Order: sequence, then structure tokens, then C-alpha cells
Amino acid sequence: MTAIAVGRPAPRRAGIRNRRRMVSAMTHAALLIGGLAWLYPLFWALGSSLKSDDQFFTSGLNPIPSHFMWSNYEQAWQEASFGRYFLNTLLITIGTVLVTLVVTSMAGYVLARTQFPGKKLCLGLVSATLFLPHGYTIIPIFDLMQRLHLLDSLWSVIIVQSSSGVVFGTFLFMGYFMAIDRELEDAAQVDGAGFNQTFWRIMLPLSGPMVATVGLFTAITAWNSFFLPLVFTLGRPELRTLAVGMYAFIGENSTNWTLLCAGTVITLAPIILLFLLLQRFFVNGLAGAVKQ
Amino acid sequence: MVAVSPTRRADPAPASAPVARPARRRARRYLWSYLYLAPMVILLLAFIVYPIVASLWYTLYQWDGIGDPTTFVGLDNFRQIMHDSIFWRSLAHTFVYAAIVVPVQLALALALALVLNNRRLRFASFYRTLFFLPVVTSAAVIGVVIQLLVSNFGDSINTVLMDLHLTHSHIDFLGDPHFALGIVIAVGIWHTFGYNLVYFLAGLQTIPEELYEAARLDGAGRVALFRRITIPMLRGVGVVILVLAVIGTFQVFDLVQVLTSGGPYFSTEVVNTYIYHLAFGGTNANAVQPNVGLASAASFFFGLLLIVFSVVQVVVLRTLVKRRAAGRETQGGRS
Amino acid sequence: MSSPTFSRRSLLRAAGLGAGAAALGGGLAACSSSSSSSGGGITVNYWDSFVSQAPWVDNEIKLFEKANPKIKIKKTTQVADQYPNLVSLAFRSDNAPDMFQLPKSPPLTQQVTQNWLTPLDKWATDSWKSRYPENSFIEGNNEFDGKIYSAPFAGPAPSLQLYIHNGVFKNAGLTNPDGSVAIPKTWDDVSRAAAAIKSKSNGKVYGFGFGNSQNTTLAWWLDLFVRGAGSPGGAASAGIDSLDSRVGKWTYSSDRNYADVIALLLNWKKNGYIYPNSMSISDEQARAYFERGQFGMTVGGVWNQPEWTEHKFTDYSLMTLPSPTGTPQALFYGPPGGYLFAISSKAKHPDETFAWFDWLGGVDSGKRYVASGQGLSIYPESNDTKDVTSKPFAQYVAMANTAVYGPQPTIRNPDVAKLTLDTVKPDINDVLAGAYTGQIKNVASALSDLEGHRNAGLSDAIKKANSSGAKVNASDFVFPDFDPLKAYTTKPAS
Repeated sequence: MTAIAVGRPAPRRAGIRNRRRMVSAMTHAALLIGGLAWLYPLFWALGSSLKSDDQFFTSGLNPIPSHFMWSNYEQAWQEASFGRYFLNTLLITIGTVLVTLVVTSMAGYVLARTQFPGKKLCLGLVSATLFLPHGYTIIPIFDLMQRLHLLDSLWSVIIVQSSSGVVFGTFLFMGYFMAIDRELEDAAQVDGAGFNQTFWRIMLPLSGPMVATVGLFTAITAWNSFFLPLVFTLGRPELRTLAVGMYAFIGENSTNWTLLCAGTVITLAPIILLFLLLQRFFVNGLAGAVKQ
Repeated sequence: MVAVSPTRRADPAPASAPVARPARRRARRYLWSYLYLAPMVILLLAFIVYPIVASLWYTLYQWDGIGDPTTFVGLDNFRQIMHDSIFWRSLAHTFVYAAIVVPVQLALALALALVLNNRRLRFASFYRTLFFLPVVTSAAVIGVVIQLLVSNFGDSINTVLMDLHLTHSHIDFLGDPHFALGIVIAVGIWHTFGYNLVYFLAGLQTIPEELYEAARLDGAGRVALFRRITIPMLRGVGVVILVLAVIGTFQVFDLVQVLTSGGPYFSTEVVNTYIYHLAFGGTNANAVQPNVGLASAASFFFGLLLIVFSVVQVVVLRTLVKRRAAGRETQGGRS
Repeated sequence: MSSPTFSRRSLLRAAGLGAGAAALGGGLAACSSSSSSSGGGITVNYWDSFVSQAPWVDNEIKLFEKANPKIKIKKTTQVADQYPNLVSLAFRSDNAPDMFQLPKSPPLTQQVTQNWLTPLDKWATDSWKSRYPENSFIEGNNEFDGKIYSAPFAGPAPSLQLYIHNGVFKNAGLTNPDGSVAIPKTWDDVSRAAAAIKSKSNGKVYGFGFGNSQNTTLAWWLDLFVRGAGSPGGAASAGIDSLDSRVGKWTYSSDRNYADVIALLLNWKKNGYIYPNSMSISDEQARAYFERGQFGMTVGGVWNQPEWTEHKFTDYSLMTLPSPTGTPQALFYGPPGGYLFAISSKAKHPDETFAWFDWLGGVDSGKRYVASGQGLSIYPESNDTKDVTSKPFAQYVAMANTAVYGPQPTIRNPDVAKLTLDTVKPDINDVLAGAYTGQIKNVASALSDLEGHRNAGLSDAIKKANSSGAKVNASDFVFPDFDPLKAYTTKPAS
């Protein structure tokens, strides 16, 4: 059901086929040109990261560098100590994704599949936080982490970062598990599988696309998160992340635009790659969650 | 690797727990449910609910965030916010932002999703990737890149515009109150468009192809298919997408902060940048005594306004639906 | 309350006098940290938010560690935007550094009452104090209840200058008979130069340019030009430093210089002299455009210079206090005293920390600071132009006489330090942006509102302070015998 390729019975088959081809070619052309234009700012940043300083000023809106200045990358990598920050960011992202996935899939499962006293209350609490204004200061959370003696560790960042995506993830998993056939679960229980086994062996593996979806959304936010890693590692700058490094890098090189663009590409590349790897799962995952 | 696609049932209603089970077994099941729920609830209470409650407490104090709050001012902070014309201006900008971004973004996203959902369209996932990618980039990075593009090379854009005789003088797009909010809105649409695209795609994938085939056999045209099948089937998902989009746009913050920081002269100030400027005392170069109490009050007042706004919306919608239903009934339109 | 704080903005307030950060204000954000592994000795944790000054600090650390092999300095450069926030959070937890650059907020009085700082009296002997110029330690400034908490770092210097691109001026024919660039002195000179640049370049080069994306630079223009016309208050947005000490009030509306300068700016805009993207680019971007000759003149402080020097761009000149007549009618003022670094109350090894404090704030370190072209030192003997290789920096050093000590209400009545002024919004930056972008049509009434709000804010603050036991009076801010062209020595009340 789209603008193209909806066939209608007609006598002149060849003509139709030609027209269909025409329409299809035009759709592809429009999508390709539109899509590339859509990404123009990113292409421009990528191109600028390879320009020389002078060329950056003279080439204006043209994203294509005349010759490639790979040294921008070398310099950005070294100056911003991206190497060290890269590892921290990776650890925080992986940690946050794991914690979020475990916490939200378990919660989503019981909210979708089991009955227990207090379920309505719990659902109400979860939905209410979506609408309530979030506090405008980090101070309560900071004090809490201090009392837990978690400050200045990657753990503190992972825990607080995970909490920010917990509501959304729970809802997505809940929707997904609700749509899965109950018979599978019943069969497992007949085979003697306990509550735990049913979840970990049967249900979670079935929710692969949703794991990819929630994982990807969480990874995007965790990777780009700036304020939490900054505050929770303030006493140990060696634990800083790429986003914090990038922020400082923007400040230090506010007029060295080619270098700045190189830094941008370095911080963006891994998360874009991850997206490319996971993207085919996640529309499926979302589709599962919204299925009535 | 192939995506796992489990068989699903359209009926979501979970069967109630078997009645005949002994109470002990049921209690054990409850216990497991609570245990599974506990981590989520703990994170939620500790890091989302508790800070909200704590901030509510701060609204009663004049406090710069150092030490503990001591200067009790009662509801004075709320009074101050309500009498601040800049707050109301930023509220108006927030509404304008939402009122433009949400419909434009959703309409564009739905249209593109319809095109990409065609099973016969090759490379659909490639195109999807192209349009989704801006979502992956952080607002800070987008701010830097767009600001460079628009301000540094605004000259080139201006030359083109002037050559086409569309404008007659040089425009400072982000520094001109007539254009700044428009640019912020355009970038806002661009940045989060991808989320709505994939939400709609996901919604479209849940519509069984058989429905369309059956309708086509009945001789329905494209428009009829869209109106009679796509729209009704998407309604449920559509509401969720709409709610998420509205919540997201009302909370717009970092994009505005990095592009214009609310300027020039508050012409792009939205509620969240307004609050940020109260709480953290302006910009790096322009130090202002921070006022966490006032910022918390502004944030709660804004939350309150939003809740009132949504309640009014729901009530109006309900009465409209009821009236329509009543009207249909009196006309004897029952079939 | 009048304590200067450390940002570019503070340059306006403190006028480079005493407020060390004034001269150090150029940086934006920094994150590089050079940590030294401690090899059995004592490690001192040191925090700052310096960017362009980082090479100087790193060099001082190297020299210090060589001289004190037992002590290692672990430097953490925090993100400048969030520096006050991070310091405050650090003191909430157990993360406070041993020694740190004082953040711009909260005010130093509050940092003292929050018990963040260690008094220096144990080390600040008379002989130690004597290395500083007279009147360097002032109650209510860097001394509270008779205890010294910090020491001045930067020396008197004008906070703002008009920068002139020699190449642009030469192309526009703005030269003296001997071929050197004709430096404008009066407001008319400045306008004429802009007109010449515009017409000689066929509109390709602009007379003026600035980067107001952070909503501060327009006030720099106002400050520089009204001072030249004889308004000693200038145009700072916060604190009390922008009031006219002769009357103890803000005079945005009653002193016509403010409206005149705004009219001048609007006229330049109307004539197309001003680089059109000036409202949306940042100060840093404007700096890069000036370097590339996109416009001929810009207003800024000495923080402009290190980057240009690094880019080998030195073909520019500077002047300060352009005035209607060619003779400035007011100067830059600052408080005697000043502060930049302090030792935290949590310092684990106070003696070793003080050794580093003493080193970094010492005469030799100051000399190297000046030689690196960052600003002037509090020690006259460190401000030796002999070591200065950059010609523009030498010009800056030569204009040090345009900054003098101004009247200090806190010296006459220490209770003044207990005032807390509420923020006034819209402030002078907002009014300027509103007028410049045409959103404020009636500039005169906006200025008179602002003047009213600021003065009302001061009386409210006085009332509030008095009700909690302080003794402050509006007359504490009035210095009828203050001559804007001379340094003023405030005498303690007898």
C-alpha cells in the first residue's frame, strides 16, 4: 500500500511494466537524493574534517575537500586524549546497555505476563514519571551516590544513566511480551520449567528484536551523555568520556574547525557503526512492541 | 542472522492465574514477580522519583545550590515566576515550537514510512538508515555543525538568496529574531525525525497484508485503502507516537541551548533554557547568581501547566467523542 | 559582594586590577589533565579551568617539581563552563582539591563561610606579605575577619581594547603620512575608518565585527566607549562595580553617554559597517574572522592575543578608551587586593600545598606569565617589557596606566560585603541585544527601566542585610570626591 507498484489489472501489460519501472526509478531517485540531502550537514562535517584550514574558509558549503588532510585525525586523536576516553565511553555504554536490558526486560516481563497485588499501582507510578517534571538539579542524586560511596567510579555513571531510560524500556518490553503467544510459556511450564527458566531460556531469547531496539536506544543516549559522566567523575578526570572530552575539545579548538570536525567524526563513527549493525532488528522489535 | 519473529497472538489479555493453584505456589509466583520488578522500581524511586520530591522541597527556598537550603521563602518563587514576562514568553515559544515540530514531523514521517513500507521497494532499509542517522548524533555536535554552516557560511546562503531576489539584504539567520526560532524549529524537525519514522514503520508492519489484499479484491483504490485500513489500524500506535512527540518537544532543551542559548533577546528562549539559566546562572562569560529554588519552582509550575493542558485536552476530546456518539444515536445511526 | 570573579565578564568589573582571573579569562573549556605519578613523595591535587594559560601552568609544575623533588602536582583542568558547579559538588563530597583556582560563584565571602578555604595566616608572615605591593590584602576582598585567604595575582591593566587590523586599514588607505596605520582616537575617527573600509573594499570588508552568541560582547563595546566619554560605571551586568561611584547609583538612563553609544552602534548597523553575522557567531569565531581580515576593528581583551600569536598573526594594533574628544574622560577601575588561587580546607598536606601556592603566585612565575603574553602580573618587577617579544602585547603593557584603583565601599564599611544583590533580568546585555536586533524600539525607556531596577535592587539588598543585623547605608556607595581620571584611595571609616 504505497504510492508505487500497486498493480491494477489491465490489458497492456508491457506498458504497465514500463510505467511501473518509471515510477520505481523516480521513487528511488527521490529517496536517494532526499536522503543524501538530509544527511548534508553530516557529510559537510565529514568533508570539512579532511580539509586544510585555508580550504575550510574558501570552500564554503562545498563538502568535498580538494586533498585529504588525514593529519587532522591524528592531531585530534592525540590532542583530545580520545584514546583513553574511548575506552571509558565504551565501558559505560556497554554497562548501561546491559543494566538497562536486564532491568527493563525483567520488569516488562512480569508487568506483561503475571498477575500480582500492586500491579496497577506500579504501572501508574511508571507512567506518571513520564509526565512529571524532572528535577532541575543533580544535587539529590549526587548526595545519594556519595552516601552509597559510588562517586568517582564508572559504576555511578552506569547506574544513573540506566535509570534515565528505564521507564521507556520497560514499556517497550511490556508491549513486546504481551504480543508473544502464551502457549509457548505454558508448554515450558508443563515441561517443568520454573519462573526463572521460562524467562531466561524461553521468553528473553524470543525478544531478540526488542533487545536490539532497547539496546540501541540506550546505547545512543549513553554514548552521547555528557553531564552525568562529567559530574560523577569530577575527582578522577581519567574516567572521563568522549562526550566530555569533545566538549572540552570544542572549547579549546573553538576556531580550529577542521580539527573540531575530525573530533566530531571520531566520536560519532562508533555509534553510527553500531546503528548500522543493529538497525535491521530494531524496526522489527518496535513492530512487536506496538502490535495489539 | 535472521530476526527472530515469534508467533504472536492478537489478543493481549493475559489469562488470569489458575485458580486451583495452592496459595503457597501462588505466593511464590508473586515473590518472583516482585523480585523481577524490584531493580526497576528501585532505580525509578532512587533516581527519578526521589529527585523530583527533593526538588519540590527546594521550591520553597531561596538557594544557590551551595550547602543546604536555609532561606525559606514560601511560595514566593512561584509568585516570582508567574510575574516574569520572560517566563511567559518562553512558554509561548515552547508552544510554538511544539505546535510546528509535532505536526510537520509526524506528517513527513508518516508519508516517508508509507513509501518505505512497500515490500517491493528495494533498498528500503538503506533509505531508512539515511533518514534515521541524525538521531544518532548528539545535540552538542549538531549545534556546532549547524552553527558553523549557518553563521560562518551564511554568507553563501545569503548570496544565493539575494541572487534569486528572494531577499535584498544579508540575513544573520541565528542572530535575527525573525528567523532564529524558525531555524531552531527546522533543526528540531530534522534531528528527531528518525524516531518518528521508525515508530511509524513499526506500526505499519503490524498491519496484516491480507487486509489490503482483501480490500483490493473489493476494488478499493489507494486513497480508500489508506483511509479505511491504514488510518484506523494505525490509530493506537499513532496516539503513542503523538504523545511521545509532544512530551519530547515540550522538553526541548539542548538543541536551543547549543544553537542560540535562547537569544537574541529571548527570541528563542524556551521554558527549559529559561529554567537552566536560572539554575546555573547564565553563561560561562555572563555570571549570574544561580537560584536552584527558583529554577525548581519554574520547573514545577511548567509541569503543572502541562498537566492542566493535557487534562483539558483529554476532557475536550472525550466530550467531542461523546457528543458525536450521542448525535449518531439520536439519528438512529446504529447498524 | 564587590569581589571580582573569574570570567571574561569579570574583566569589565574588575578592570584587570587585582582580579587575577581578569587577565586569565580568555579560555573557554579545557579538559586536558597532566597527571604525574607520585613516586613515594607527596601529591598535591590542583584544579583550574585554564585553557590558553595551560602551557604556562604546565611549565610552572615542571619547574616546581624540579625544585621540590618530594612534591608532585596533580593538575586537573575542569570544563570551564561547569567549573563553579564542579567545585561546589566537590566540596559536597570528599573530592575537594588541595589547591584550586577560585570559581566565579559563589562569592568569596560565601566560600569562606562554607568553610571551603584554609586561612593563609600561618604562612603569610609580614615578610611574605611585603613582596606584594602596598594595599594588597584588603578586608572584604581577600581577607575576612582578619584572616587572609588568597593573594592578588594580576596587575592593573585595561580590561578592554579596540583591536585594529593593520592590513585592512592599509587597504582602506587609513595610514599616516609615514605609512604607519592611522589609529583612530575619537568616536568620529572610528566611524570614519569604518566608512572608509566599507567603501574602499566595495562592501567586501566590514568596519566592525564581534561575536555576541554568548550575549556578552555588545556590552564590551558599550563599556569601552562610555568610559571614554566619562562614565566611570561602564557596563558590567552584575555586581555593584558598574555603578557610578560619584553618586552611588546606576546611571544607564540619567547619564546620556549610554544612549549615545547605543545610538552610535545602531547607526553603524544601519550604515552596514558591522559584520552582519555578529549576533550569531561566538567571540572565538569573531577572533578568527578578524585574523582573516573580514573586518577592521573589534573590541576585546588581552585574551585575544595568545591565539593570534600562535597563528603568527601579529599585524594588528590596539588602543583603548576611544572618546568623543580624543581624550578619555574616565578610566578602568578595580579594587586593590584581588585573588586567584586558594588552599582548600580539605588540603591533606597544607605545608606542601602552600609551597605550590607560593610558587605559582611568586615573582618568577609572574615574570614567565607576562613573558607568555597572558596578562600583567601584580609585581611591577615582573612586568618587564624586555622579555616581551610580541609588539601588540607591548602596546598592551604600555597602556597599563589606563587602569587604576577605584573607590571601594567594602573598605569604608566592611558590612557592605554582606549584601546579596538579586539578579536583574533583563540586564544590560539583554537590553543591548534587544535594541540591536530591533526588538526594543524605545531604548530610552528600556534604559530607564534598567536603571530603576538596578537601583531598587540595591536598596532592597540593603534593607534585607540590615534586617539581619548588618549596618549598611545607601551613602556607603557614594564617593563625592572621586575624580574619574585619578586613582582613588579609599580610607577605612574612622
